[in-house]
Amino acid sequence: MSPLIFFIIRRLIQYVPMILVVIIVTFLLVRLAPGDPTYILVGEVGDESFVKAMRERLGLDRPLYDQFVIYISNVFRGDLGYSYLRSEPVAKLIVERIPATLLLVLTAMFISALVGIIVGTIAAARRGVADLTLSTLSIIGISIPYFWLGQIILIVFAVWLGIFPLGGMVSVGYEYQGLEYFLDVLYHLTLPAMTLAIFNIAFTTKITRGSVLEALTQDYIVTARAKGIPESRVVFRHALRNALIPVVTYTGFNTGVLLVGAILTETVFAWPGMGSLLYDSIRLRDYPVVLGIFIYGSIIVILANLIVDVLYGIIDPRIRLR
Amino acid sequence: MNNQGAAYTYHLKNVGLQLLYKSSKVFKVNPRFTAGFIIVLIVIILALVAPFITWYPPLKTLVGKPFTPPVALHPFGVDDLGRDIYTNVLYGIRTSLIVGVSAVTISLAIGILIGVIAGYYGGLLEDALMRITDMALIIPQFLLALVIVAIFGQNFQNIIIAIGIVSWPGIARMMRAEFLSIKERPFVEAAKAVGLSDVKIIFEEILPNAIPAIIPYAVLQVNTAILVEAGLGFLGIADPNVPSLGLMLNTAQQYLVRAWFMAFFPGLVLSIIVIGLNLLGDGLIEHLNPRLRKR
Repeated sequence: MSPLIFFIIRRLIQYVPMILVVIIVTFLLVRLAPGDPTYILVGEVGDESFVKAMRERLGLDRPLYDQFVIYISNVFRGDLGYSYLRSEPVAKLIVERIPATLLLVLTAMFISALVGIIVGTIAAARRGVADLTLSTLSIIGISIPYFWLGQIILIVFAVWLGIFPLGGMVSVGYEYQGLEYFLDVLYHLTLPAMTLAIFNIAFTTKITRGSVLEALTQDYIVTARAKGIPESRVVFRHALRNALIPVVTYTGFNTGVLLVGAILTETVFAWPGMGSLLYDSIRLRDYPVVLGIFIYGSIIVILANLIVDVLYGIIDPRIRLR
Repeated sequence: MNNQGAAYTYHLKNVGLQLLYKSSKVFKVNPRFTAGFIIVLIVIILALVAPFITWYPPLKTLVGKPFTPPVALHPFGVDDLGRDIYTNVLYGIRTSLIVGVSAVTISLAIGILIGVIAGYYGGLLEDALMRITDMALIIPQFLLALVIVAIFGQNFQNIIIAIGIVSWPGIARMMRAEFLSIKERPFVEAAKAVGLSDVKIIFEEILPNAIPAIIPYAVLQVNTAILVEAGLGFLGIADPNVPSLGLMLNTAQQYLVRAWFMAFFPGLVLSIIVIGLNLLGDGLIEHLNPRLRKR
């Protein structure tokens, strides 16, 4: 077996059990919670016969061990229960919302990587006033709660200036097709993506700056300078290239933070993703959906980490040997 | 008696002066730390004197006409239920600080315990504990806290406990790293040679040397806890009987078009708290790590 395949298998063995752990934790929480677990697994509403049918289906009248096995096998088959309030299976409700959330997360990731890498590199190359201003700005950027930042951006750009929509993903009442649909989504995406990106730019800038500073102390930089290569080329071609790996891996491992960020940002802009679904479900006490979003969110984060980890091993052969 | 008293006072004065001298050096060297320290100090004072500088009871409805924009009597305006926003923001600072400090106390207790056992004993136990820690680091902590509070009941106590029990992994890892390096030092070997018990070596010899390294991270953890509480409040997971900056932003969300001040002031104050704690924590890390100081 080639070492690469061996490496990938080892990573799979490392990550897949985590999904099982997430499901076990969920089951334990539901069992430990005060009151009848039926109401958490089914929701607080529903007529007697529905609740009774669900109780039998979930095996809640059977011993704990059976309940556990039923729960695990249900979840692994993609059955997260049924939302009585919305008359739809929980899994379907969530899966429908994932693309919108991913669109928001990936757009914000792209913008913040682009801006953060450029700004961070400049900050590292020109230390002094620019550096100090940037690090102060990045502290502020990291600190401001992005859901509040989103509210302020919404008030300024949508309410006061009126140049962006108040929320949603498409204009209501227009049946846009093709390019027009794409532009309409882009128009709605601008403010939420900007909010999420601003928060992440600060982090990316900080990491890039540190990484480039480290790279600039290496011997090959001295060599490059001695050869008379212009400084801008030394920084952007020689130092940045070698500094990029930590930045890229960081961006990948940061998916969890961005996902939570997206969930909060979506709520501000009524962006129809998992966050809005979560917000509505909390208000309606639709617990099966809340639990489902926790499980799906965790799985997304675990998979993202797995992918980055494997890519890291492919890019940098040294990692494979560890 | 008198003499002893005087000697004690002298001693205290001496210790006080030393502390003052030491801290003055920190202030001079590190402007970030200074800025953070001042901001956090002001925030704490505001939280303490909240009852004396507000003129309405917190959470009391209809003390003003709903949606009144900022005026002299209501400096931050009045919300949808006629509650004074200025009063609730000041009491909200209290809530944030209480949540931050209590949740971090819980996560420190768990994190230190796990980190200490893993770092000191090593072997299979360490492997097992660190695998659990790594898993706990990957699961989105915010969502886990949210689920815990949602199904266990939305009260203040549950919010603090939930935030505390999801945020220990970082502390555990740091603690383990500290223990791994400190336990190799000669004084630990000496303690072992003298025949001290493991408990004594851990708590009286190693732990006091490991604590300073995690203090800045504890400060940053307070920050995270405050943000998690605010985020939960923003999604509507909060105790309705406790003033909360996050919950105020949740209410404000429904009236963004109509009442900008309902969102603006609570969020601004929340940002200031977080900026202060971030500066303080970063400043401490820089100060304790001379390698970073030179950069």
